[in-house]
Amino acid sequence: MAVFKRGYERYTGPRTGALARFLVVPRFAWPKLLGERFVVVLLIVSLFWPLLCAGFVYLSNHASLLPGLAEAGDAVQKLLRIDGAFFATFMNVQSTFAIILAAIAGPGLIAPDLANNALPLYFARPLSLASYIGARLLVLFGLLATVTLLPGLFVFGMQASLGGSAWLAAHWTLGQGMLLGFLLYILLVSLVALTLSAYVKWRVVAGALVLGFFFVLGGAAQIINQVFRVEWGSLLSPSYILYTIWCALLGVETPADAPDAGECLAALVVLLAALLAILLRKLRPVEVVS
Amino acid sequence: MNQIWIIARLEIRRAFFSRRALWVYLLALFPAALFLGRAASVHYDRREYAAKPATPAAILDRLPAGTTDKDALAAAGPPIRDRQWRRGEVEHRSLHYFDGYNRVWLQFENGALKTTRRLPLHSFEQDTRIYAGVFQYFYLRLAIFFGCLGIFLNLFRGEMIDKSLHYWFLAPVRRETLVLGKYCAGLIAAAVIFGGGALLSFAALLSYQTSADLETYLQTDALAHGLWYLLAAVLGCAGYGSVFLAAGLVLRNPIIPALVMLLWESINGFLPELLQKLSVLHYLQSLCPVPAPLDPSAPPLARMILSPAAPASAWTALPGLLAVTALVLYLATRAARRLEINYGGE
Amino acid sequence: MSDDLIRFDRVSKFYGDVLGVNKVDLRIPPGITSLVGPNGSGKTTLMNLMAGLIHPGSGTVSVRGISPFAPEQLMRILGYATQYDAAPRGLTGFDFVLSGLLLHGFPRPDAVRRATHAIETVALTSAARRKIAAYSKGMRQRIRLAQAIAHDPAVLVLDEPLNGLDPVVRAETIALFRDYAARGRHVILSSHVLQEVDVFSDQVILIANGMVVAEGAIRSVREEIHEHPSQYLLRCAEPARAAALLFTHAGILEARIDPGGAGLLVITRQREAFALAVQRLAVDGLAIDGLEPLDENVDALYEYLIGGGK
Repeated sequence: MAVFKRGYERYTGPRTGALARFLVVPRFAWPKLLGERFVVVLLIVSLFWPLLCAGFVYLSNHASLLPGLAEAGDAVQKLLRIDGAFFATFMNVQSTFAIILAAIAGPGLIAPDLANNALPLYFARPLSLASYIGARLLVLFGLLATVTLLPGLFVFGMQASLGGSAWLAAHWTLGQGMLLGFLLYILLVSLVALTLSAYVKWRVVAGALVLGFFFVLGGAAQIINQVFRVEWGSLLSPSYILYTIWCALLGVETPADAPDAGECLAALVVLLAALLAILLRKLRPVEVVS
Repeated sequence: MNQIWIIARLEIRRAFFSRRALWVYLLALFPAALFLGRAASVHYDRREYAAKPATPAAILDRLPAGTTDKDALAAAGPPIRDRQWRRGEVEHRSLHYFDGYNRVWLQFENGALKTTRRLPLHSFEQDTRIYAGVFQYFYLRLAIFFGCLGIFLNLFRGEMIDKSLHYWFLAPVRRETLVLGKYCAGLIAAAVIFGGGALLSFAALLSYQTSADLETYLQTDALAHGLWYLLAAVLGCAGYGSVFLAAGLVLRNPIIPALVMLLWESINGFLPELLQKLSVLHYLQSLCPVPAPLDPSAPPLARMILSPAAPASAWTALPGLLAVTALVLYLATRAARRLEINYGGE
Repeated sequence: MSDDLIRFDRVSKFYGDVLGVNKVDLRIPPGITSLVGPNGSGKTTLMNLMAGLIHPGSGTVSVRGISPFAPEQLMRILGYATQYDAAPRGLTGFDFVLSGLLLHGFPRPDAVRRATHAIETVALTSAARRKIAAYSKGMRQRIRLAQAIAHDPAVLVLDEPLNGLDPVVRAETIALFRDYAARGRHVILSSHVLQEVDVFSDQVILIANGMVVAEGAIRSVREEIHEHPSQYLLRCAEPARAAALLFTHAGILEARIDPGGAGLLVITRQREAFALAVQRLAVDGLAIDGLEPLDENVDALYEYLIGGGK
């Protein structure tokens, strides 16, 4: 019988290993994201600042070549120094691109799955909740690393190669600090994007909320400080929290009366835990009929 | 006109009472909640500091930078609070005094007086400037901006997402009328929520002032200031609302117009005069009765961005903003005429 | 230009690179007209073009003389029950129908009366005060139908209107369509339930790959298809004898005795010659109980024209 002949046959080909299975998600998500015009434009624009910083690194290491710079006063010499403050500024500017990128790319990762009741399909396959979240985080990690970590390491590597081994031996903690700082930042931004994407379901709204999360919380932190004449309000600002942690990692001083790195780290842990809790609560492998 | 009102009435309930509007209320009422909190804190402080020993201001003023903490303690006596902590190589110490009017913090680094920080227990003038800052930097730039983003994008783009926009298109209504009706609904909701929020926070600000300050203010500027803040909030809703309504009609992704708008409003101070007139914030800042203070510790770039662009007079700001709004609404109606129902890409 | 026609003049619509409909020329008279075609053939596109929900890339559409670019006029005479399952958030069935009527400008008491009547017509009175979000698929279908008919339009456009309806409501709905058509109105509908369409349609428009492949009354469409042989069942007591006699005439491609004993199944390209031959059989004394065309229903047309694409 034709029907019998064309019936179901078990798949007998090679199977993806359990650990590598979640890589299927980014394998499909990355090309899709890179196919979006605005993402590509943003990736290109986000490289301008690292290029400018790379130019600055080159200039600071070749000050003697420019007439006048070598004899310049202490202020100019200090300005040209590649130190923790330089990398803190670099990270601060570059992180803005990561927020915008996360606001554009992040909401499309979970919201459509929820809006179309696709989660049961994912979890019906050998993909656990943890591996699903891990896979989605990996998609954003790959994207955000290209605008934060990779350019940062490039600038650091360039300075290390121009500054020589003596500079590297004295300043390797800057590279380490930047690596760790950016990893924390990517984790926070990715979790914010995924959680808001899961929370509101609609990608368009989630995107606006990602922007609002960083900008509005930053503003809210400022007005709490102003209205109550305090400094602890800054702990509500994700950008401030991260910046203070970066400064501590890079050995840059922060205002004495503002919350210190330890307090900011505690606030960050609470924030990450809250985001993760909301994400886990929202990602349930059941179909919601509305 | 009748149809516009019918559409607005049908829409308005959704704008006010949907679950999606909850965060808009949060944004609008946040400053009011803060000022109410401040009112409670001022009442508490007044009671608390009434019982504290006052150190004469003359003694505290006489302590020059570099004074050791021991000398300061000897001169000023025991502080209200003594806090010590270490950050890096620096040993910090903060001695907290009260001079009968100001709270004073003597900040020491490695045992030497670095700065003297003085905060009046309560200052009406400072409070009104802080309110102006909160209103301009938070309320106009962020709360109304993102609130209107939510309310006005929901009018068309939200219906696209819900796959229900075709019901409006199947009514015997010109698309222009539909746009205006929906805009009116959004504007009424936003104006009530954010105008109300502005007035509520203004009232909260006045609630904890001393009776002398309050009486003087009520007899002079209070009513005018309150009305200007209300007007600025409502016009902010009108201006941002028209832009986001148009964006919702033209573009699928609101993040892009939101970003562009944020950027546009931020760099407005750097633009040529003609382009400055195309910014909503340009007009709104001109309407605010009290100039917002700029944080002196803010980086130069931030100060440039936050500083208002060549201010227009209040009476040119009003028609200017209305003209910008009308222009954007006209473009929105043109876009609505071309709009097709295509839910596939949402 | 007649005012009681729905006209498509060389209308094309593309969704980006994807073809919606291509160079469609149609004149649809009042009555029940069914749009039939496989999924993605362009039925909904044609309906959306009629209602102005989408605009043609080229060509023009007019509905009883009104352009879809003038919704304020068109929607007074047109009611459209779309395929979209969603309804505005938070509304009850009654509010949903009522809000549409208020937008039409009916005074509230009149709108309430019309909404009540429309909901009664689709047998949803008991559920009218419940939120649409809690409706079943069939109930949503009916409430959309109620909104489409509430203002008593001259043109009723219905996308898959019989989907999800139980047999009783389905019969009532079809009766409603017939009533509309009987009053000189347009009822345009699409359906995959071909047998039902076959039963009540005045005319059928067959669409495949965005192009109209046939239009008209089912019989007339069938008659115009010459390249396909016709099938008949000749009901008679002596099918073997009838077959022997018929094969002496030209144009008979195949004759088979019906295994069920109903008679003789005949396939021919020459209908008129075949009709004459049957007359001759009767004259020759063969007892003929009846002659039944087997492929004058939509299913057969569909098979012929679209090639098994259903």
